[in-house]
Amino acid sequence: MTATVTWTSDPATDATTASRRRLRRHRARWVLVAAASLLLVVAVLLVTRSPGSTADLDPGNTRPNGSQAVARVLEQQGVTITHVTRVADALAAAGPDSTLLVTPSPFLLPEQADALAGTDADLVLAGAGRTLLTAATGAQVETDPLIGTPPEARPPGCELPAAVAAGPLVLEAGLVAVGDAVTTCWPSGDAAALAAVEQDGRQVTAVHDPSLLRNDTVADEGNAALALHLLGAHERLVWLVQDPTDLTAAPDGGRSGVEPDPAGVLPDWFGAALAWAALVALATVLWRGRRLGRLVAEDLPVVVPAAESTRGRARLYRRSRARGHAAAALRAATADRIAHRLGLPRAAGAPDVVDAVVRASGRHPDDVGALLYGPPPADDAELQELARRLDTLESEVHRP
Amino acid sequence: MVLTRRAVALAALGVVPLVLWPVAGTVVVWAGVVVLVCALDVALAVPPRRVAVRRTVPAAVRLGTPVDSELVVSHPGRRRLRALVRDAWPPSLAADRDGDSLRPHTDPAAVTRTARHRVDLRPGESARLRTPLLATRRGERRAGPVTVRTYGPCGVAGRQASLPVGGRIRVLPEFASRRHLPSRLARLREMDGRAAVQVRGEGTEFDSLREYVVGDDVRSIDWRATARGGDVVVRTWRPERDRRVVVVLDTGRTAAARISAVDDGSLNTGGTRLEAGIEAALLLAALADRAGDRVQVLAYDRALRARVAGASGTRLLPAAADALAAVEPALRETDWTGLVGQVRARVSQRSLVVLLTSLDPAAVESGLLPVLGHLTGTHQVVVAAVQDGEVAAMRTGRDDVEAVYDAAAASRADLERSAVAAVLRRHGAEVVEALPAELAPRLADAYLALKAAGRL
Repeated sequence: MTATVTWTSDPATDATTASRRRLRRHRARWVLVAAASLLLVVAVLLVTRSPGSTADLDPGNTRPNGSQAVARVLEQQGVTITHVTRVADALAAAGPDSTLLVTPSPFLLPEQADALAGTDADLVLAGAGRTLLTAATGAQVETDPLIGTPPEARPPGCELPAAVAAGPLVLEAGLVAVGDAVTTCWPSGDAAALAAVEQDGRQVTAVHDPSLLRNDTVADEGNAALALHLLGAHERLVWLVQDPTDLTAAPDGGRSGVEPDPAGVLPDWFGAALAWAALVALATVLWRGRRLGRLVAEDLPVVVPAAESTRGRARLYRRSRARGHAAAALRAATADRIAHRLGLPRAAGAPDVVDAVVRASGRHPDDVGALLYGPPPADDAELQELARRLDTLESEVHRP
Repeated sequence: MVLTRRAVALAALGVVPLVLWPVAGTVVVWAGVVVLVCALDVALAVPPRRVAVRRTVPAAVRLGTPVDSELVVSHPGRRRLRALVRDAWPPSLAADRDGDSLRPHTDPAAVTRTARHRVDLRPGESARLRTPLLATRRGERRAGPVTVRTYGPCGVAGRQASLPVGGRIRVLPEFASRRHLPSRLARLREMDGRAAVQVRGEGTEFDSLREYVVGDDVRSIDWRATARGGDVVVRTWRPERDRRVVVVLDTGRTAAARISAVDDGSLNTGGTRLEAGIEAALLLAALADRAGDRVQVLAYDRALRARVAGASGTRLLPAAADALAAVEPALRETDWTGLVGQVRARVSQRSLVVLLTSLDPAAVESGLLPVLGHLTGTHQVVVAAVQDGEVAAMRTGRDDVEAVYDAAAASRADLERSAVAAVLRRHGAEVVEALPAELAPRLADAYLALKAAGRL
């Protein structure tokens, strides 16, 4: 009965394939241009990037948070600096006639702290954590980072040569001496900025505030003097800036029980299989990711839920507790419907309606009057009750 | 280029030699094997653009009636064609098979399986593929491209292309209200036959003379004819014919309001006020045409969206359905002055003007009321409005306090609407307000009542 319409696909003529090829070549050129510009940007970034490390207190870092200033001056004074990032390397490089500087290492394991404490070199601990302090000083020094220090220069208040040379400093205090053999300098309340312990024939010096090594604060007050005195005591200085991934704890660089050897647990083909699985996953992505043609779009009409405004009005009634308005609406609607059913004119007044309802339902006039024209309900429960009674009244009214 | 699950399986098989010989060479060799097999398959697959596709669809279909989109895929090449063909149509036409019947495809996350066809053709053969379509939304729908994915001999990889093949279906209004037509036509015939007993009034016209039978109104005895003949003769009357009926659909913002929720998750957003209006317009047009009146249908918001005029008999309903198929509500305030101007320009004689709109108090007061006088002066006006089923349900809610507040708000809205209706009646218009499903028969009844009373 209905007419049909037929469409055919374009025959793949030479003209269309040629234009498509041209289009494809055009697109390929754009891809090449985009890739080349990306490479160029990467190269420029690589060349213009500032050299050197960006790690905190790194001897090769020239930024405000680095320590190249102190390192350079020490090297000019003839100190050989060995910069290490692993505990194993630090233990291998540190010897009896050297200084080992440990910069703040929040990822230091207890085993690593014990290994560092066991070295023969003099130890300088800058901003060390509780584990390392306890291990290195034999539990004679503790740290309490919550102690506040007024930002003003204080005299050293101890006989340590380095402290006497440095003079007044603003370093934060946070070290608490527990044992008797501890020398504390720059005290502030119970805490001190520096604590030195002579242990096993070598010097262990802890400085709570590592800012004396930073490029931006090394020139303040006596910071430089203190740093040079502490780190320049021996010809060789081992400078440990721990890498967060470092798990080594023995000089041979081996894993002395800290890190399980994955090669020992897993079969030797595991790594290759994992890489292969990634390739298979890529193939799966290519398989699943290809759509069978594009999506077909459809314009949808804007549809407005019509009851929304009525619901909004109901919420307003409820939120403002407008029980009077709500009850008036319910009563008026009931009266309107009853009046319509009883054939009363729209302009009929309250007494007429009440009369008619009384005649139609046989109820008492006062009762009907109170129900249809009474006072507003006092609370929500009364409103609900009113609605129910209005329903009952409406069901009782029949055409006379 | 396309990969298949076989390509992934082939790649996954590579784990076996890798476990046996865990060296880098194994990885390279197996990766080479996979790439080689895929490349060979792609090279041997039939180029999808060589496949010729022809699509045949009906030009128009009624909403809810299943149709088939037919594809003829022919393969002129030399190699065997193994392919997957997708006949893409907009979501509101997508259908799922449910046993023997069809149901709308409602899950937007799932692909439409009925639109995908496996094809295996020898050179020179062609295949006929049928995609069942089930329209859930009125309007004009354009088909998407036909996507052909051809596979190589191993079925590991293949090639794919989307061929631009045209396709268009006009989805006509459902006209579900046609089930009310027979009963209304019966009433119309009744009015014809009642001629003699009917009290003569204005708007009825003289039909014929016939012999008196017991029960006829003595006032309709034609004494002059009785004197000429000898038998008592009465005049019969019939309802007036050849009156003009203008049905105006307001397609402005109030027509976009959804008055019944469709929650099947589909794109079927039917149930706007306009849908109910179109149903009522079609029933009234069919009825008025059978009653011998001349029907015009206009759709207007700020410009004329559709117009049917001059058609009658069997041509009227198809023309009206076709014209109203693509009408969508616009989110704009209706220009009532322009609308009244349109009506006055189209008809000069006294006619029945039916305005299918809403009784939203603000919209009526600022739009329709000021210009209604221009229409009621010359024409009989009926304002037909669709009530909101959800508001009607809210009015009877008594379950908890919230429902009672909802009921109060709904009652207040009802009162406001009936006040608007009263104002409209005072201005000389008839007002018909009903729930979406009842509007069409109620409007037809109002028309019959006006016709019986001779007020057209």
